[in-house]
Amino acid sequence: MTVDELRAKAAERRQTCSQIKKMIVSRLDLEVDPDWITDDQPLFGRGLELDSLDVLELYVAIEAEFGVALYDSEMAVFGSISRLADEVDPHLRAGA
Amino acid sequence: MTLTHPEGTVYGQMGDATVPLRFTDLSAEYQVLRDRAVALDLSGHTLIEIGGPGAVDFAQRVLARDVEYLTSERCMMSLVLDDDGRVVDQVLAFGREDGLLLESSVGAGARLLEHLRAVADEDVEIVDRSADLTVIGLEGPYAWGVVGRLIDGELASLPFEAVSDTVWNDVEIVFARTGFTGEYGYQMIVPIESAADLWNATLEHVTPSGQEALELAMLEVRQPIPRLETTGDVTVIEIGANWLVDVTKDEFVGKEAVLAAFESRQGRRTVGFSGGDTVPEPGARVLAGGEDVGEVVFAVRSVGLGTTLGLARVEAGLAAAGLELTVEGADVTTLTSPYIVPKSWSIPII
Repeated sequence: MTVDELRAKAAERRQTCSQIKKMIVSRLDLEVDPDWITDDQPLFGRGLELDSLDVLELYVAIEAEFGVALYDSEMAVFGSISRLADEVDPHLRAGA
Repeated sequence: MTLTHPEGTVYGQMGDATVPLRFTDLSAEYQVLRDRAVALDLSGHTLIEIGGPGAVDFAQRVLARDVEYLTSERCMMSLVLDDDGRVVDQVLAFGREDGLLLESSVGAGARLLEHLRAVADEDVEIVDRSADLTVIGLEGPYAWGVVGRLIDGELASLPFEAVSDTVWNDVEIVFARTGFTGEYGYQMIVPIESAADLWNATLEHVTPSGQEALELAMLEVRQPIPRLETTGDVTVIEIGANWLVDVTKDEFVGKEAVLAAFESRQGRRTVGFSGGDTVPEPGARVLAGGEDVGEVVFAVRSVGLGTTLGLARVEAGLAAAGLELTVEGADVTTLTSPYIVPKSWSIPII
């Protein structure tokens, strides 16, 4: 790939990540600017410090926003914003 | 060196501390950390007491996260920044009845102490406690079981970043649920004179792991490693450690600089990568489509992935997972964090 094609691919992921961040901030009523959250930021425990109740809220929000049901997924899908992006938009994954 | 280590332990100098890099073999120690539980000699972390009538106000000013209501039953990880927004250190702050206790990152105690004293107010007492206190850690998916056998099973299920003042073998210790690797993690702050006894008692239940295995596991979950990631003239935003800074807080040292860096949208960003047979040195160039777009921050051989794993700092438009880049002629792929999913995420404490 050329560097411009790589930039375009990166922009695609950033757009999905940005959508996820805005959704989390809005649904969970967080005070933080969505752009302040990094793509690698952990969501639970350290990082955004969400808890299990927040997960339930996120399941519903993700299905409403992206049409993807994650109810039976392992906690790993919430490992970071970028990991969640892979789940809601699988074609972002390397090699996809 | 407070604790006794087995013959053959390999040591290394990290900042102002000499620390055990590995006791036997990196691969074996890493595997035990990820599969069961290990003991960690964290004596390279300096403990600094912030006391005096102005302690909380001072801590609130020098820590980048909000510690105003940090009770003696809580601890919190935070960055400490200078006026230019550069990272002085990443600390674990423990709320105490009469102030706070700060735990430096490995080998950064002297630098942190110097900074704190330089910006301290008159009504604040800053005391280096490294001559009388040290830290022992436990980390791994079954570390909670060790806590039960060693001290008290009730402590194992403390919430993340909860702290309990407790007694082990008639010795008062500060026990905390923490963690650097995504696995269940605990820390015990113990008086120096009892540290060897607690360390030896811990080793009746688990084997020790050195700094190399610990840092590899930290990298895998994108837990910042200050000594490797904050070198050079980099901002918090470039490091990607935003979550260790609370910009909604009214004031703290470095806030204006951090906000300026954030709002400028300039600079590079950090992304993980894997691939290649050799481990590139920090500063090795990163290419995208043949163009130089950044450099390697640091890299290691990942036991879990079986390949090279590292961090690269590249132009912001390319700091995303799933891209094929080149480092020193080797094809690498940028990654989604965490790079290894900790086993603890699927194992409940029972």
